[in-house]
Amino acid sequence: MSSVQHSRPVFNWRTISIYGGGLTALIVLFFVSLCYGEASIPLHTVVDSLMGRQDTLEHNMIWDLRMPRTVIGILAGGALAVAGSLLQTITRNPLAASDTLGINAGAYFVVVLGTIFFPGLMQQSPFLFAVLGGLLAAAAAYFMGGGRTSSPVRLALSGMIVSMVLGSFTSALHIFFSQETQALFLWGSGTLVQNDWSGVIYAWPWVIGVTIIALVLSRQWDMLELDESTASSLGQKVGMARAAGLIIAVLLAAVIVSVIGPIGFVGLVAPHLVRLSGIRSNRLLLPGVFLWGAALLVGADVLAKMVHNSSLELPTGAVMAIIGAPWLIWLVLTRMKAANGSGMTTSMSTGARSRRWSFGPIAIIFTVLTLALVLLSTMFGGMRIPMADLLPSLFQSDGLYSAIVQLRIPRTLVAAGAGAALAISGVLIQMAVRNPLADASIVGVSSGAGLGAMMVIILWPGLPVFLLPIAAIVGAGIAAAIVFSLSWKKGLNPSAVVLLGIAMSAIAGAGIQVLIVRGAVYGSSGFIWLTGSTYARTWDQVKIIGVFLLILIPLAWWLARRFELLVFDDNSASGLGLNVRRTRLLAMTVGVLLAAGAVACVGTVGFIGLIAPHMVRLLTGNKLRRSMFLSALVGAVMLVLADTIGRTVMAPTEIPSGLLIAIIGTPYFLYLMYRSNWRKSA
Amino acid sequence: MKKSLNGFLLLTVLALALTGCGKSSSTTDTNEKTSSGSTPTEETAGPVTVKHSGGELKLDKPAKRVVTLEWTYTEDVVALGVQPVGSADNANYKVYVTPEAALDDTVTDVGTRDEPNLEAIAALKPDLIIANSNSNIYDQLNAIAPTLEYDLYTGDGYTYDKMTETFNNIAVALGKEDQAKKVLDELDQHYVEAKDKLAAADKSEFHYVLTQAFTYQNAASLRMFTDNAVVIGTLAKVGLVNDWQPDKIEGYGFSTVGIESLPAVQDSNFIYITQPDDDVFGTAMKDNSVWKGLNFVKDKRTYQLDSTTWTFGGPISSKALVDGVVGAITQ
Repeated sequence: MSSVQHSRPVFNWRTISIYGGGLTALIVLFFVSLCYGEASIPLHTVVDSLMGRQDTLEHNMIWDLRMPRTVIGILAGGALAVAGSLLQTITRNPLAASDTLGINAGAYFVVVLGTIFFPGLMQQSPFLFAVLGGLLAAAAAYFMGGGRTSSPVRLALSGMIVSMVLGSFTSALHIFFSQETQALFLWGSGTLVQNDWSGVIYAWPWVIGVTIIALVLSRQWDMLELDESTASSLGQKVGMARAAGLIIAVLLAAVIVSVIGPIGFVGLVAPHLVRLSGIRSNRLLLPGVFLWGAALLVGADVLAKMVHNSSLELPTGAVMAIIGAPWLIWLVLTRMKAANGSGMTTSMSTGARSRRWSFGPIAIIFTVLTLALVLLSTMFGGMRIPMADLLPSLFQSDGLYSAIVQLRIPRTLVAAGAGAALAISGVLIQMAVRNPLADASIVGVSSGAGLGAMMVIILWPGLPVFLLPIAAIVGAGIAAAIVFSLSWKKGLNPSAVVLLGIAMSAIAGAGIQVLIVRGAVYGSSGFIWLTGSTYARTWDQVKIIGVFLLILIPLAWWLARRFELLVFDDNSASGLGLNVRRTRLLAMTVGVLLAAGAVACVGTVGFIGLIAPHMVRLLTGNKLRRSMFLSALVGAVMLVLADTIGRTVMAPTEIPSGLLIAIIGTPYFLYLMYRSNWRKSA
Repeated sequence: MKKSLNGFLLLTVLALALTGCGKSSSTTDTNEKTSSGSTPTEETAGPVTVKHSGGELKLDKPAKRVVTLEWTYTEDVVALGVQPVGSADNANYKVYVTPEAALDDTVTDVGTRDEPNLEAIAALKPDLIIANSNSNIYDQLNAIAPTLEYDLYTGDGYTYDKMTETFNNIAVALGKEDQAKKVLDELDQHYVEAKDKLAAADKSEFHYVLTQAFTYQNAASLRMFTDNAVVIGTLAKVGLVNDWQPDKIEGYGFSTVGIESLPAVQDSNFIYITQPDDDVFGTAMKDNSVWKGLNFVKDKRTYQLDSTTWTFGGPISSKALVDGVVGAITQ
């Protein structure tokens, strides 16, 4: 924990090296980023233009196109890093930053919202909107994470989830209001490209001014780093200082988001780099943090420029994610020990109550309902098929609507199959890691599978289609192996698994963006791996998901008795004669394979594996077979409904079903977290 | 546990039932007949064979009810004097494609060009679909109606020759070869007249670069068209000379660049297309020292074309482009 202080000499060689190193790195990168651009400008011209600007095109290019980009990079990197450092101090949480607390996502969401509904107001003061959004998101993350009693990991987790919720809402806005939002940033990843100095002119007074205020108040922050009892004995001042710190951090993040969009991980990485040197006094810490944040972001931007091909540019945020996410992994691994008790490790208890109903009737009711819903869903779409005509069209080849029904049946079946696969996968993974908050999308398996499939599509476009599921499996397997092996030492602690999974997803997501840019994929064919879609699925995909289900469900069914023992803690389980590790691995493998199969068919649809098992857990307790059966039905219904709604409400335009699931799923996840937390403290 | 097994069985049965009927009926709708079209007079009425990316497509008779899934084909069909029954993204078609190739209000919107709505297409009961090559949905489209697919951007890309070739192929499918010949002859005649106008204004062999520009990720992004683009091919017909010559051949017919790449062609003339709500060179570049320092800006040799100048179009777009450019530079 960062709050554990050691008194060290203020000026030592490490302090000097941190400042010297940061400054050198920044100066070098500043220069490199000025040299790097579309037009090839010789090195000596760059030097000349810096020495004395003349009114030539090349000098103007360096001063008015490249310089603003570099300078906004410095301001943004510095501001986000200072914001991150302050948030880490006031929450006493090494994992805090404006992105991990949802502030960036909140600010960005409100900016997008404002662009659509209050374009006039937006033009005048985008900043106000961004600040408001950032504050609300931070508040939401704080309370959902358990407020005062929250542990660092839990708070970061809840912030990440708030980000995910807002991110899915933002994507929805992009789709529903594509006309109004088309000029907004690419995928909300953040980019530093500037037309002129206006962005810098707008941002610098805020960034510099607020940073100086933060510096002036550095004693306050130092006080907050004292241990809890000392700090609280100072009474109200602590609360005031915390509030001030939060407002300063939100201001910094909001001004940056309203200029360049949400860029993550800078605020997490830079402060830790500097803290590694042992600097603790905020007066020395904050300028160092600013320096390193600036160097990091400018460096990431130089890398982004290098990936640039002649058609598309990689968002700087994607590069930053590739650099920063491994850092998050490292932090989770090294800072977790003190940070988390075993509070949730053994609790599969979010809802494991005694059953009030016998299983038989429930199974029948669920089955009938599922079949009815699946059947009825084929009525809806761009064209509504009257009830009376549905059955004839379904079962006769020359019915009035047969041609349309023919298109709906395979996609409905794929949706049902993939939904069921994801739900069962969720049940198994949750069982394996004893963690009610795990599912394929949250532990990064879905993104890994998406990355694998995407590689096949873009790097070897000629390959036959059947390799796609194989690539998805390989990608999912690698992602799962990384996440689980890293969290193994943490006893597969729920929060650790989820945070590592989020970091994994960030890396894989950024990898997918790199592939899209390198492959110059236009149109949406590549993007289904990002959001998940049941558009135009055919019998081919029905076969793929069918094969997965036919092989893996019986296997899981057969192994269910053994898997059930995993709910007990490891000692009792092995006391029952179970090879715990092997069984866990087996359950995880089956779960990951099922998820990979689903991803190969419908892209990265998330949250079904989380929600479906949870909804039925009330009814089934920990009986694995029952839970698998009902979850599969619920999962199938969920994706079928998402598919139906997606193809109906905006017809003829379709909404990706993965997005619809995320809109419902992320708030549910948030609720789940909040509830498990609330019950724990109650 | 037995009951739950029953449940699985039931689900499987449903799935099989659906599978069964899926297979039995997928071949039927291609024979769908419509008699609403006008009786053929000067057109060929017998079976026709049309070339496309997938080889050859045989139609029992020329198509009447056409669905087009890319604006290029929509425009080609309109140029042949036929309104498609369905077309992709009509709202944006109106924004980007010349009003000379306008769609009637009766044309049904079938969704986006990337993900056209298959159900909406099926509901129209077309007898021909014209689509971009996309293996993902070709089989499904072909199950709805015989489908022509073209990959406009392979090989040299969408060149002028590929434009006329595609147009002529579509004309065959619609039994409108005569009309196609007439359209192309008139177009050639139009080029001759345009050339005369240019000569009269002393603008023969006018050097230029052509770009479609928009704001992307907060910054100006310019599609600079290369020699293999249909727009450049069209302007070559009237004797204009393209100065944008990148080292790399671009399949899509344009390089995407930023303002930094413009100094290389600053002595040329700058012809551009922007959208009214995204006035890249008007507002965004107004105070940009690089932009203001470019020779063609200083000498006022920038020419704006109408925002509905579609750069991947057919014969009508070519005509509109020539009119627009000749009008702009001879003012």
